[in-house]
Amino acid sequence: MKMMTYKDRVVPILRVADYLLVPIQIDLDDSTVGRLQKQLMEEIERTRARAVILDVRMVEVIDSYISYTLSETAAMARLMGCRTILCGIQPPVALTLAQMGVVLQELVVARDLEHALVLASLS
Amino acid sequence: MVGEKIETLLESPAHEFDVVVRIAREEDIAVARQMAKQLAQETGFSLADVTKIATAVSELARNIYRYAKEGRIMIRKRLEDRDGPCIEVIAADRGPGISDVELVLTRGYTTYERSLGIGLSGVKRLMDSFEIYSEVGKGTVVITEKRRRKF
Repeated sequence: MKMMTYKDRVVPILRVADYLLVPIQIDLDDSTVGRLQKQLMEEIERTRARAVILDVRMVEVIDSYISYTLSETAAMARLMGCRTILCGIQPPVALTLAQMGVVLQELVVARDLEHALVLASLS
Repeated sequence: MVGEKIETLLESPAHEFDVVVRIAREEDIAVARQMAKQLAQETGFSLADVTKIATAVSELARNIYRYAKEGRIMIRKRLEDRDGPCIEVIAADRGPGISDVELVLTRGYTTYERSLGIGLSGVKRLMDSFEIYSEVGKGTVVITEKRRRKF
């Protein structure tokens, strides 16, 4: 896999103990969500993290393709021995996803960051 | 019949709408979504409904980009409606068309490999009204509305 350049990195990824903490504070368009997936896979491989925590508190729209890609990312991470925990889904986003009938497969959903850290430590 | 409807809509002057976004590149999906959000906010929709409208527009714009390559998202607010203010979203393209509209509205049905197959049925659930017209070889039009709720 070709190494990512600085420009390819779409989000800051913080390393906390054996976990990767990923605050997503940008609008997730299709190419961004694809690059995010690539960046995460490389970080998981490099750091051998046990869990990834995706904090989507600042994300205002999650549509079916973003949902699909997040689930796919989690499935890929699982195959690399890493769990993916999602936290911070905003109420309007939760309502929209529920109404559309989106099931976030492969992802563990936490109430907030603190809960996500607890879940990560259990993995 | 459907072909005419598509042409009429695609030829309709931009001033009849508050927002017209030409969808031709992937980035246009996010632009359409953002513009829809802004218009819904200005029109006084609740945050929940703003999010639903933006998500629906995102799904419609992506369908245009994926299957038709090119098309338009047209959005207008209608403040004088009998049933109260509403936002109308129209997605139109001259793409390949859909041979079985019922089928594509089935949850989980998709011809695209990286997809949940819930885009169109999701739009139908998120919005208050939903009409789809399509003809193979001519294109597809989706007309959908969301009314502003009273609190």
